Amino acid sequence: MIHPLAWVAWLGAVLTALTLTRNPFYLALILGWIAAVTGLSRPAAGTAPIPISPLRFAMGVVAFSALFNALTVHFGDTALFSLPEALPLLGGVITLEALVFGGLNGLVVSGLFAAFSIVNRVLPVRALIRLIPRAFYPVAVVASIAVTFVPAMLRHFEQIREAQAVRGHRLRSWRDWLPLVMPLLIGGLERALQLAEAMTARGFVAVERPGDDLKTRLVMIAGLLLLLGGWLLRLVWQQERAGLGLLLLGVGMILGLLWRVGRRAPRTVYRPEPWQARDAGVMLGAAMTALAFLVQLPGLDRSAIFYYPYPALAIPGFDPGVAMATLGLLGPLLGRARRADPAADTMFEHTQI
Amino acid sequence: MNLRNPVLSMVIYGLSTGIGLVAFLYPFWLPAVPRTAIMGQAHSHDAPLLLTLLVGLCLAVLLLEVQGQAVSAKLAALLGILVAINSVLRFIETALPGPGGFSPVFFLIIVTGYVYGGRFGFLMGALTLLVSALMSGGVGPWLPYQMFTAGWVGLSAPLCRPTVWLLGGEGRQREVLILAAFGGLWGLLYGAIMNIWFWPYAAGPVEQYWEPGLALVDTLQRYAVFYLATSLLWDTLRSTGNVLYMVAVGLPTLRALRRFRQRFAFDYHDPSPASGGRRV
Repeated sequence: MIHPLAWVAWLGAVLTALTLTRNPFYLALILGWIAAVTGLSRPAAGTAPIPISPLRFAMGVVAFSALFNALTVHFGDTALFSLPEALPLLGGVITLEALVFGGLNGLVVSGLFAAFSIVNRVLPVRALIRLIPRAFYPVAVVASIAVTFVPAMLRHFEQIREAQAVRGHRLRSWRDWLPLVMPLLIGGLERALQLAEAMTARGFVAVERPGDDLKTRLVMIAGLLLLLGGWLLRLVWQQERAGLGLLLLGVGMILGLLWRVGRRAPRTVYRPEPWQARDAGVMLGAAMTALAFLVQLPGLDRSAIFYYPYPALAIPGFDPGVAMATLGLLGPLLGRARRADPAADTMFEHTQI
Repeated sequence: MNLRNPVLSMVIYGLSTGIGLVAFLYPFWLPAVPRTAIMGQAHSHDAPLLLTLLVGLCLAVLLLEVQGQAVSAKLAALLGILVAINSVLRFIETALPGPGGFSPVFFLIIVTGYVYGGRFGFLMGALTLLVSALMSGGVGPWLPYQMFTAGWVGLSAPLCRPTVWLLGGEGRQREVLILAAFGGLWGLLYGAIMNIWFWPYAAGPVEQYWEPGLALVDTLQRYAVFYLATSLLWDTLRSTGNVLYMVAVGLPTLRALRRFRQRFAFDYHDPSPASGGRRV
């Protein structure tokens, strides 16, 4: 099984590449690599089924996006046909450029959906919760409680529904929700009371609130101000370097703060997930792709990434170097592991407080 | 609340919420910047990434500050169970879809924020969206924005208290009507805010879409057209659903939450002599 952090890095690279480019050549490559990873990755036991298949989603979204954009954006040199001007919003020239741009946006959204579907499929819920940074251990505790209690609450709701049905209750209008929702809420609050007593009896004690000391709060405020300043400098006043510097400083301060606060909440793991050479390969591949799309590297023509079909449709540029860099997204296929250990899904951890 | 540094807390809430708002709403204030300064700049392409980073970090800081509420066993348990109940309501909504954008999850976020306070409401909103996304495979790039916006719904719920107090206090039907109006307003606002995060990058530079350098009036006009065409009906149904749901189950829910607030108002003390009866 690939380490969850390696999956996060892969997801970050996909997100970066897909968000930045509208070049159909690169989009096709990235979507192809995502499809390859989808086809060859196995779902983890206990993961929720994806509500809709990525292929079906893509067909719907690309068609809708292309059509919607063509019908509402009357811009571009290549006119296909015209709709009467009297039609509100839709009236005007329907252009090939608007149709293509809508379709490209649909492809981007489909790619994002497919990439997140893979991560949702291969990582069990416990692994996703474990990804919550240590600085947020109260949030992780609350999320763990909620995830643990959701099945019990669903059973409870079904019991309430059956009991009310036996008494002749039917859902006919919005007022009929009351006899279903109130027992669920009150039963849940009673459980919360029992759980609180049990947690206290077992030593869950509020000793210290993370992020509550003066220094931590001042660093938070400074980090936020640097972020805002850097963003405004870049976006509004065109101070590229100064803006980037402040942004990086702000990001660094906030990440450093999270690391520092996280150190106060030591975490023990019952069954640690080993970091393997394959995980490092996935990380390196993801870094290679992300860098090629984010930074101007020597020998790469990054301008072709930013394709824009307006005002007249033209064949987009293509740089083989950038195309090669997208191969980094195939990292999860490196030396595919044997079937994931189902016992890994029962892994748990606890936080010492 | 028992805050050690209430002023610093307020500064952090204000800054992170303010930066989040500035980031969300930048298409509306950016017109102040000369058009020539923006067109064609390279980072117009990395704006979505930068925006996600900014919103993500603001959410992280706000969560770090707010989560202090949940470190005691009572509140962690209460919040965990309420989030589980709300996630169940979201599952039910997935199985039996309500009309348009209606979702029963906003109801509990509003009433818990109103009764237990804004910080609790923020956590309730943000964590409901997180947990239901984890459980239903709904993790996506939209998640930080959903968490932030749902958190704001809960964080702002205590703003109804002065109006309730002016109109006669707690436990009356008027209280529910005020919360229903608040839920109706957020039904529309939630959709309008969630649109904005992708609207500036959604499509081409004509009537319904944003382009750098547009005047504020033009931007508002284009957004209004886009909103009318794509979201108004959906969001109106969400808003109406929130109002009806609040009217139907608001009063008994408020009573139950207040009763349990009293039952949760107990402390544990360390009985050992060395501790001096310290509260734990």
